[in-house]
Amino acid sequence: MMDTKVPVSRRALLGGVAAAATVSAFGLPTPAEAAPVLGGKMIYARYADSQRLDPVFTELNVDIWVMNNLFDTLLLPTPDGKGLKEGLATKWELSDGGKTVTLTVREGVKFADGTPMTMADVKFSLERAMNPKNGSWNSMVASVASVEVTEPATVVLKLKHPDPTLLAALAMFNTSVLPKAMYDKIPGKDDDEKGKIFGQKPMGTGAFYVSDWKIGEVMWLKKNPYYWKKDAAGVQLPYLDEVEMPVIPDDATRLLKLKAGEVHGTEFIPYARVKELQGDANLRMELWPSTKVTYIQFNCRPEYKGKPNPLSNVKVRQALNYAVNKDAIIAITTHGLGKPLSSFMSSVTPLHTGSGPVYPYDPAKAKALLAEAGFAKGLEITCHALSGNQDDQNNLTTIQQMLAQVGVKFTIEQMDNASRVAAYRKGDFQSRTAYWTDDIADPSEITSYFVYSPTVDCLHTGWKSEEADKLFVASQEEVDPAKRAAEYAKMQDIFNHTGPTMPLYETPYPVAFRKNAKGFVQIPLGNNYFEAAYVEK
Amino acid sequence: MRRISVPLWLGLGILALLLLCAAAPQLLWPTDPLAFDFAALTAAPSWAHPFGTDQFGRDMLARTIAASSVDLQIALFSVVFPLMIGTLIGLAVGWYGGWLDAVFGRLVDLVVTFPFLVLVIAIVAVLGPGLVNMYIAVACVGWVAYARLIRGEVMVQRNSDYVAAARVLGYSTARIVFRHILPNALRPVLVYSVTDMALCILLGSSLGYLGLGAQPPTAEWGVLIADGKNFFTTAPWITLFPGVAIVLAGLGFSLAGDGLADLLEVKR
Amino acid sequence: MNRSTWLLLRLLQVIPTFLLIGVAVFVLARLLPGDIVSSMLGERASDAAINRMTHQLGLDRSIGAQMLSFLESVARGRLGDSLAFHVPVLKLIGDRLPVTLLLSGMATLIAVAVAVPMAFVAALTANRWPDLLIRSVFQVGLSSPVFYVGLVLLTVFAGWLRWFPVGGYGDTAGEHLYHLFLPALTLALSFAAVVMRSLRASILQVLTAEYVDFARAKGLRGRVVLFRHVLRNALIATVTLVGLQIGSLLGGAVITESVFAVPGVGRLMVDSIFARDYPVIQALTLVLAVLVSLALLVSDVVQMWLDPRVGR
Repeated sequence: MMDTKVPVSRRALLGGVAAAATVSAFGLPTPAEAAPVLGGKMIYARYADSQRLDPVFTELNVDIWVMNNLFDTLLLPTPDGKGLKEGLATKWELSDGGKTVTLTVREGVKFADGTPMTMADVKFSLERAMNPKNGSWNSMVASVASVEVTEPATVVLKLKHPDPTLLAALAMFNTSVLPKAMYDKIPGKDDDEKGKIFGQKPMGTGAFYVSDWKIGEVMWLKKNPYYWKKDAAGVQLPYLDEVEMPVIPDDATRLLKLKAGEVHGTEFIPYARVKELQGDANLRMELWPSTKVTYIQFNCRPEYKGKPNPLSNVKVRQALNYAVNKDAIIAITTHGLGKPLSSFMSSVTPLHTGSGPVYPYDPAKAKALLAEAGFAKGLEITCHALSGNQDDQNNLTTIQQMLAQVGVKFTIEQMDNASRVAAYRKGDFQSRTAYWTDDIADPSEITSYFVYSPTVDCLHTGWKSEEADKLFVASQEEVDPAKRAAEYAKMQDIFNHTGPTMPLYETPYPVAFRKNAKGFVQIPLGNNYFEAAYVEK
Repeated sequence: MRRISVPLWLGLGILALLLLCAAAPQLLWPTDPLAFDFAALTAAPSWAHPFGTDQFGRDMLARTIAASSVDLQIALFSVVFPLMIGTLIGLAVGWYGGWLDAVFGRLVDLVVTFPFLVLVIAIVAVLGPGLVNMYIAVACVGWVAYARLIRGEVMVQRNSDYVAAARVLGYSTARIVFRHILPNALRPVLVYSVTDMALCILLGSSLGYLGLGAQPPTAEWGVLIADGKNFFTTAPWITLFPGVAIVLAGLGFSLAGDGLADLLEVKR
Repeated sequence: MNRSTWLLLRLLQVIPTFLLIGVAVFVLARLLPGDIVSSMLGERASDAAINRMTHQLGLDRSIGAQMLSFLESVARGRLGDSLAFHVPVLKLIGDRLPVTLLLSGMATLIAVAVAVPMAFVAALTANRWPDLLIRSVFQVGLSSPVFYVGLVLLTVFAGWLRWFPVGGYGDTAGEHLYHLFLPALTLALSFAAVVMRSLRASILQVLTAEYVDFARAKGLRGRVVLFRHVLRNALIATVTLVGLQIGSLLGGAVITESVFAVPGVGRLMVDSIFARDYPVIQALTLVLAVLVSLALLVSDVVQMWLDPRVGR
């Protein structure tokens, strides 16, 4: 797509290398460039504010994507989002047929208030993340039976069964290490109550801490002077003293602020404006590779609102897929920045298979399939869109026009977020727009949600494949990488060709900066890294 | 009766133009407002597309014209229902007075105290976006103004000589209210309703802009502006012409309303 | 009825209004489809997580029980915590209310400063060209959608010319005024038109009224007549109008604040409605209702003070 921006070092990909290599992989200046400026403040405008900065209790990207600046995990995702590298742990090994994981923890790490991180903190944090009563992410570490620590620096995880995703889970935000002593002092009867307070003024071992926060308006991150990471030249990270994150929901206003130089950078640039910003001599448009996939999903239940639902017929779903020209949508909505999906998961997700679009544009075939399904005279379908969302509107307007050409009347219903989510969870939609980003460097998260029916009825669509379900269960305990890859290939094949979605495109994360603001990194999982960011005078 | 003033002529002229757009869009500009043109995405104004095209290559002149029927419909329905409901309630309250009037007073306070737009947004959010639900939301709030106007007129006329005479003659309440009082009370209400239409067009387009009004692919001026917002600097024609159309329509209704008020000598 | 009794009655009338608003907003908020939990937890959360949070927030109780506990805590002056942000509602509102008040205040000032002199000129030259010109310009202002005007002003004066900052609120009092000027101007546009129109009408009415003729006949100079009678009557009309318009001014602030990224209560209200943050919606509506009632009350009192006929 546009991978030139991140010079990913092979060594970093394999993990377990020195911090220096790690940092250089984060797009730090090569020696030819000027040395980074130390100190100062970067202003980065966001489209929405965080809600609860607690790694275990959060649910939303607005929290997840900034928490990595506050907390560290034992392992960290590599910049390409596919592999793992060292974090708070410097070494890790599997033994006992994959049922024991032994990690060596980095020594001398301190929290932002200067207190040293201990093994008690690590044990407490992992157990808090595993507690099935806490939050929505505990299933990611459900295979862990016990956490044993020995001072000064060893953690042993005993697993209930071999788990190919566990290492990746140790790089996921929910296993971040929290300061136990500080947490214990917070009043509250359970983790949820304490977490509410902790989430308002969180602190970890990360590069920054939240120094002040006007909710819904602006959040300030200050430098953690005790941070453990150094750059390639041995300079202490982070470079910045402060990151200021004002919240500006309106796209037009946010971009005006960037162009006027009132902020150094901003996220979620509308695709329509990328070219304009690329042509602005004062700005630098960055397109980070991402795991973001955009798709339409179909309700596959036999009835919708008391009437027979044509989408329960796989031929109708295939016909709709053939009837829509994804390239036209990519041209109109993403202004050519996206690319067609070759599977339901992004091409950056590990174990992705396929090349070329799943359904090439073929209106004649679409008509034939509709006729076979008994809808030669056409049919009507409604689609839930998120009101005010330009991408949704562009996608659906184009789809509407193309489906009309094969005799399908496609009605768009705009809904606000809360209503739309509620309808989704009840399976009360005929079709709807949706997008997904991975949180973990492993295909199991997206596959569990899309393909494995016991999780949420396959995107709440009511679709089900017994074969895919069995494959998924097997793959969750499969330690042989080749066999696991084969299982994933088969699951993708089943889902892509008979499944409940119309894959549209995958797109990069568009962010833009003033020319003098450098070193920001967004990895394919979405996380924003400010540790190596700096602002030139 | 005074003679028809210049502003009134102007207002009526604008409204006539809009009506023509709404009634016979094909006559003015035969391009299909929904047809895509992949060869001319976000094209600047030209002879082929005098108002330019949007991101789908749809002709903006055709879309701006097509939107006029939707916006006129908004102006009409957002006024007619509140007018009817408000008139009936105003008649009842004005005629009977007493506890009915007290309850009405509190209701008026409630609606006046509640920020109008916020209330409409909340109601539309409850019912779901779309034009019909928008009319319901507007009617929930809009009837109050009409009811107040009618109530005031009725209270004045209730004690007038001709009503007293009608009572003496033994006419039924319904006959007195509907045949005698209503026609007299209606004049200021009708004048107000024309001005109200200007406000309703603004409200309808604001809701369209927020995604709570007309739904795509229906062309509505506010929706057109919202759609073109991302192109505000690079392709300003997408938002400019619908914006001008809203101002023009608002102007037409306000001028006509003012002119009518002068003509009919209604105090405002 | 003397003035103090009138004032007392007027104050008492406010109470049932508030109660009604409290109940109305509670019911309305609960009628919104979808709930806070769905919107907080997002699409991916497990059913168990949803149920747990629903229970924690007390949203699994009956509507009646929830309403009673809401009214009870309001009576004690407690308005609860924001469900989305986990902070006291009053703190959220307290941070933002001054912003909106300043914005509305500036808008009112700008509107009145422009509209009052223009209304006089228009009325004195009624139906001649200055009048027609003024009326058409204001008419255009009245017909311009706030969201479009805001976008244009922002792009031109902040984006291109850089005369003003692009939205926001700033940190010092001076910065506040500077940041809020464009949004206040946007908001003032239609407001000024409303004030100008009714002021012009009321001036015309006074000018043609018999007592002015009478005053003239008594030999008072024209200017004195204007000041004595016209100005006072015009002021009464303006004050009444400003009081009545506060509600729609706050409504207009909703859109203006969104376009200009102003951290006021208008934006908070829209965000809370979309997030189904019930405590914030309820508290904010109550606070706004109190404000509007106060504005109406103040305008009534000022009217009474200016016009001896009111309240007798």
